[in-house]
Amino acid sequence: MTYLLNRIFSGIIVIIGISIFSFFLIHLIPGDPVRMLLGQNATNEEVARLTTYLGLDQPLMVQYKDYVVNTLQGDLGTSIKTGRPVLTEILERFPETMKLAAAGILIATVLGISVGVISAQYKGSFIDKLSMTFATLGVSIPGFWLALVVIMLFSVKLGWLPIAQGTGIRDLILPAMTLGVLASTMISRLTRNGLVEILSNDFVRTARAKGLAERMILIRHALRNALIPVVTVIGLQMAALLGGTVIIEQVFNWPGLGTLAIGAISTRDFPLIQGTILFMGVVYVTINILVDFLYTVIDPRVELSAKGGK
Amino acid sequence: MARLKEVTQSLHAPLMKEEKNPALVQKKLKVSMFWKVWNHKRAKYHLIFLFLFLVMGIFGPMIAPFDPNKPFYDALLQAPGKEHLLGTDALGRDVLSRLLYGTRVTLTVSILAAGITFVAGTLLGLISAYVGGIVDNILMRIMDILLALPSIILALAIVAVLGPSLTNAMIAVGVSSIPSFARLTRSAALTIKSSGYIEASRSIGSSHSWIIMRQFLPNITGVLVVYTTLFIGGAILDTAALSFIGLGAQPPAPEWGTMLSEGKNYIYEAWWLATFPGIAITVVVFVINDFGDVLRDIFDPKSVN
Repeated sequence: MTYLLNRIFSGIIVIIGISIFSFFLIHLIPGDPVRMLLGQNATNEEVARLTTYLGLDQPLMVQYKDYVVNTLQGDLGTSIKTGRPVLTEILERFPETMKLAAAGILIATVLGISVGVISAQYKGSFIDKLSMTFATLGVSIPGFWLALVVIMLFSVKLGWLPIAQGTGIRDLILPAMTLGVLASTMISRLTRNGLVEILSNDFVRTARAKGLAERMILIRHALRNALIPVVTVIGLQMAALLGGTVIIEQVFNWPGLGTLAIGAISTRDFPLIQGTILFMGVVYVTINILVDFLYTVIDPRVELSAKGGK
Repeated sequence: MARLKEVTQSLHAPLMKEEKNPALVQKKLKVSMFWKVWNHKRAKYHLIFLFLFLVMGIFGPMIAPFDPNKPFYDALLQAPGKEHLLGTDALGRDVLSRLLYGTRVTLTVSILAAGITFVAGTLLGLISAYVGGIVDNILMRIMDILLALPSIILALAIVAVLGPSLTNAMIAVGVSSIPSFARLTRSAALTIKSSGYIEASRSIGSSHSWIIMRQFLPNITGVLVVYTTLFIGGAILDTAALSFIGLGAQPPAPEWGTMLSEGKNYIYEAWWLATFPGIAITVVVFVINDFGDVLRDIFDPKSVN
């Protein structure tokens, strides 16, 4: 329990840090940020109006205080471009990103663990080498290019699936597959290495000696132990997928947080940029804490070792 | 006879090293590092490949058959063939030439970005580990905060501030990797700090800067080389990604990410546009990553997996 409280406490500090970071973002723009946002042709009147609109004429501390108070009340400001509340914009897009990330992580988990188990079972064989090469390939291939290849193959060449225009199930398959394949490589490598290590343990030899079928040993004994770190990685991948979706969404025209963020940056819509970054940070931290929580449930040793002093 | 000489020399090597001045010892260390890598079969192939890539980055524009921005109006979207080996794009520009010019861009940008990460990350990590206490605490909390955001989001935030351009994308990619690099350097340096010889050095009155430069740095060089290699691969991917979404290199610059972005609009009629730059990125990053893995096996055998 103390371990969890500690995690939540440090999570809150990180979130405060992210809020300061996203708050200062606009102040980091070299020169006069408002003139920068409006371009060189803006009149002084327009500059003054936007300065007041963004509250940039107030002292820094007052600005930050207002920002924190507003944020805590759920007011992340108004988009310069659309004039709509930033939070509304974000909450509209968030479910779409979650849908994509969830489908991606599902594919990644199934694919990653299967490939990892097969690799470990045939350690050193051609299959093992091939799948581990693919694992390195997975971290070397640009996600947006894999997305293009997938589109070229399944939409253009074979004509099986549409190039996503909406957000239905059929539109979901290709982007989710791209994300899943990319994220699976890390999971498969970890599963394989974990399994290989555990299969050399004494209790596995004992299980073999008492005549258990190899498959039973693998599933009942080895995999259970090997999966503990894998769960963490799946959690972390889930959080990382939020970053990964940013670019993939763009390729598939998926109306999620990523396209929102990129659109905001292209139009230099700062309230929206700040809001999206803060929101993504909060989601990321929350997922990480949840993963840590899950971890203590699966493996009680974590809690014990944390109590025993780090 | 020669073999005997070798053996006696190796027996005396530790004694002889003592006599030499530290700069020479360090030079020898670097040379032996190179041979260690060269004698590893897979690492050797990677080194050769990366050397060729470097050569291509330098001389690529000279061997490119055409000007990368010269449009051939009679050859728009031409498939790969005799005249244009890798085809032409929608403006009739030669894809092979653009790819070759892009090598230089990718090479420069990724090395500079990784350079930013390396210098700032090493400095922060070393200071954090060496000074310890409250400085360490504050620095690492700041790193934690920045690490709480996926690095691409951090890079996007920096581009948002600086504005879209290739230089800014490079800075963004370099800066966004500093937190993880600093953390890795710190943990490597901490293992050195706890070893007895640092304490011994301090007790005979060595200055802080001497200890950092002569004892910390040489001992974590191997680890730093491994990390930097892996970060270069990541830097190539991230810069290409930023260019792809229009926040990095701006058209008509022959950059691989930008080329893919332009090719995206013609996947129905011209598959080659969205194919070759992607293959180029994947192959280069694959070799760099695998090279990094091999280097890790050589220099940091404890951290395998």
